[in-house]
Amino acid sequence: MSLSLSRNVRGCHELRSFLPCGAAGWQPGPWPRPSAPGDYSSRRAPRGRAGSGAGSGAGPGAERGRAGPGAPGAAMPVWLREHSWRQSPTAVYLSLPLRGARATPANIFCSEQYLKVSIPPFLFEAVLYAPIDDTNSTAKIGNGNIFFTLYKKEPALWDSLTLANADKEKLQYLRENAVLKAQEKAKEETEAKKITKQKHKKYALEATMKLEEAERQRIEALKEKERQKVAKELELWKNQEKDGDKYKSIQKKEELHQEIEPLKERKNEKMNKTRIPNEGSSKTRLKSTRGHGSCSIFSQKLKEEQLPAPRAPATIKVNFTPRVFPTALRESRVAEEEEWLHKQAEARRIINSDLSELEDLKEEEKNPDWLKDKGNKMFAMGDYLGAVNAYNLAVRLNNKLPVLYLNRAACHLKLRNLHKAIEDSSKALELLTPPVPDNENARVKAHVRRGTAFCQLELYTEGLQDYEAALKIDPGNKILEKDAEKIRHLIQGTMQSS
Amino acid sequence: MSAVLAAERPQVVSHVQQALSYTVFDCKWVPRSARLLCLGSAARGTGVLQLYELNGARLQLLREIEKPKPIKCGTFGATSLQQRYLATGDFDGNLNIWNLEAPEIPVYSVKGHKEIINSIDGVGGLGIGEGAPEIVTGSRDGTVKVWDPRQNDIPVANMESVQGESKRDCWTVAFGNAYNLEERVVCAGYDNGDIKLFDLKTMSLRWETNIKNGVCSVEFDRKDINMNKLVATSLEGKFHVFDMRTQHPTKGFAYVSEKAQKSTIWQVRHLPQNRDIFMTSGGSGSLHLWKYEYPAQRSKKDSEGCEMGVAGSLSLLQNVTLSTQPISSLDWSPDKTGLCVCGAYDQTVRVLIVTKLNKI
Repeated sequence: MSLSLSRNVRGCHELRSFLPCGAAGWQPGPWPRPSAPGDYSSRRAPRGRAGSGAGSGAGPGAERGRAGPGAPGAAMPVWLREHSWRQSPTAVYLSLPLRGARATPANIFCSEQYLKVSIPPFLFEAVLYAPIDDTNSTAKIGNGNIFFTLYKKEPALWDSLTLANADKEKLQYLRENAVLKAQEKAKEETEAKKITKQKHKKYALEATMKLEEAERQRIEALKEKERQKVAKELELWKNQEKDGDKYKSIQKKEELHQEIEPLKERKNEKMNKTRIPNEGSSKTRLKSTRGHGSCSIFSQKLKEEQLPAPRAPATIKVNFTPRVFPTALRESRVAEEEEWLHKQAEARRIINSDLSELEDLKEEEKNPDWLKDKGNKMFAMGDYLGAVNAYNLAVRLNNKLPVLYLNRAACHLKLRNLHKAIEDSSKALELLTPPVPDNENARVKAHVRRGTAFCQLELYTEGLQDYEAALKIDPGNKILEKDAEKIRHLIQGTMQSS
Repeated sequence: MSAVLAAERPQVVSHVQQALSYTVFDCKWVPRSARLLCLGSAARGTGVLQLYELNGARLQLLREIEKPKPIKCGTFGATSLQQRYLATGDFDGNLNIWNLEAPEIPVYSVKGHKEIINSIDGVGGLGIGEGAPEIVTGSRDGTVKVWDPRQNDIPVANMESVQGESKRDCWTVAFGNAYNLEERVVCAGYDNGDIKLFDLKTMSLRWETNIKNGVCSVEFDRKDINMNKLVATSLEGKFHVFDMRTQHPTKGFAYVSEKAQKSTIWQVRHLPQNRDIFMTSGGSGSLHLWKYEYPAQRSKKDSEGCEMGVAGSLSLLQNVTLSTQPISSLDWSPDKTGLCVCGAYDQTVRVLIVTKLNKI
């Protein structure tokens, strides 16, 4: 290893004395003395301290007191000193043997005037003699060696690789500066990269847009061509039709002239009736595509006689698939509709089912709807008491159905239980709030029944009130009006007489 | 799906667009001409009939007729080629047949229904098929009535609900199976998803089914042949294609269904020149062009030995979105392949050209 030092030495004669790591004063040995922790004295700055006597002869003493470059952690870095370099007017070639350490690009740090290679625990630093163009300079790693090609900013021959009189603070300052500069440069580079990326993206976008536009126009052009082709065909066809018709009409006229004679007498009347409107409007007819006025009647009448007679009228009875809702059937709504119906059915079912007598009733008898229907049937047959019983049971099961009270009121009217009738009608009306168009009919009935009950109890004013309420709901009802009139007369009659 | 190259697929080209000042409910080509008819409702609550002629790249208004009630639907299906009378159904339930040359007084008029006539179809005219000319109307009052223009006031067939039963709105009607003098079938679609097939020869219900969504439009692929295919479109973007050649006693007709768009499919119209191609128009303003492919065998025997139909497959040839509002009416020109007119609820009527249909 020690031999490598002098092997590549070339360049100015002065170099020899500036060789870092004290080439002359190199102590032979396989490895440089590994610096023991805390052993500052053994470290020698790679920058030659030429001024301080003969090269490495200065040895440890020269470097004493110089602070290490921010020793990483506790271990002191091992200085790599056996580098060698040569130069040309424009470039500097530096070779740094690595002593077995593996180097990656991350270990190399280079700025304009500062070069550092740090492969823990090895370290190599150099404050360069003159600024270099660090963007173009290269480092080649291989063969246990890093080979730097540094391009000088100003073509001149360097006296030495590194600056001669670099004191501690300057070094520190330079180092920091270098780091800062490097960082700035990195930032600038990223910025520049971003901008170029954006530019590229924009360009790509525009290119794709142009392509798509071209595609679209191509398709439009195709469509336009089709359209024009078809339009031409259409015109051609139309003209053909017109010519064809004209020709046909001439032909037919000739034919029919021969037929006219025998048919004239028969068709005379009909002809007169129908020809006039045809001739009158022939001016409004633009082209003769409609055919030929009077002549056509003949052929048509002839054909008529060959047609079968109209069918005998008949009716076919139709049954529809049942549907509760008046709206059209839509598959997507079926689920909702089912749910709604289900809920309606639920609402009508037994509300209070803990009556013990109910246990011996049949299933259907527990259903208020069924009971209501039973009651209706009995009312229709005249069995008013039975109907009342049915309604009673239904009410016990579900006392929220106004129709039960309504119907029971009607039964009571028939049975002349007038007070009960009034009660039931009132209850029905109560349940029929809010007054909406849907329960109009029910409310009219309730009012009428209550009114009738009042009148039969001779409480005519109350009765009239109810009739008028009914009339308000259903103004067009003649029967109601008549009845109301009657009651008014009755009231006036009693008032007069009393 | 058959592989059709993108370059070979039919293109839907918008040829002319016309903005209207009223809501257009139906648009129809006048047969044997380059003229089209738009029917609708003006803002003041009257009916409007406009006759346009396709002239180069624009529509030229030839005539505008106003009627007291808004008009919902119309058809030329039951008139002869010489007369070309238009049968219309309006919002009041009146069925009228007009001579467009003298539109002041209808040639035939009857108050057929109590509520709006939703759909109308005609058969026996235009030189297509045989048999008496008949018009069928379907209305919101739940009845479907068949009229013969030679018989006043009384329909020749009336399909109504059983007395006392609830009724459903009839949304669409179509004629079919009119291949000889006696045979005729009417298909009706209702808002509760029912499709019913009535046989007019035996005056009975021949088949019914429920497709779980309100039926917006039904059409046979051809009116004048032995029933071949029936397309029924519905709400929720679904449509069914029924193979009508084989009816199984319990299972009915085989079908294939497709869910094309998220929105209602308002109309289906078969191409007059090729009965396996049809176009559906949707509530999102889009049009889809479909092709039906027949299966290798159209019928097979089931476990009990009864004949059962086999449905084929559908492939989407093209789709295009023209508008943001539903395209409620669609009509192919019977004279020029690929020429069609569609009317949308954004108060525009568009003439479209579908190319390359002869190569399918």
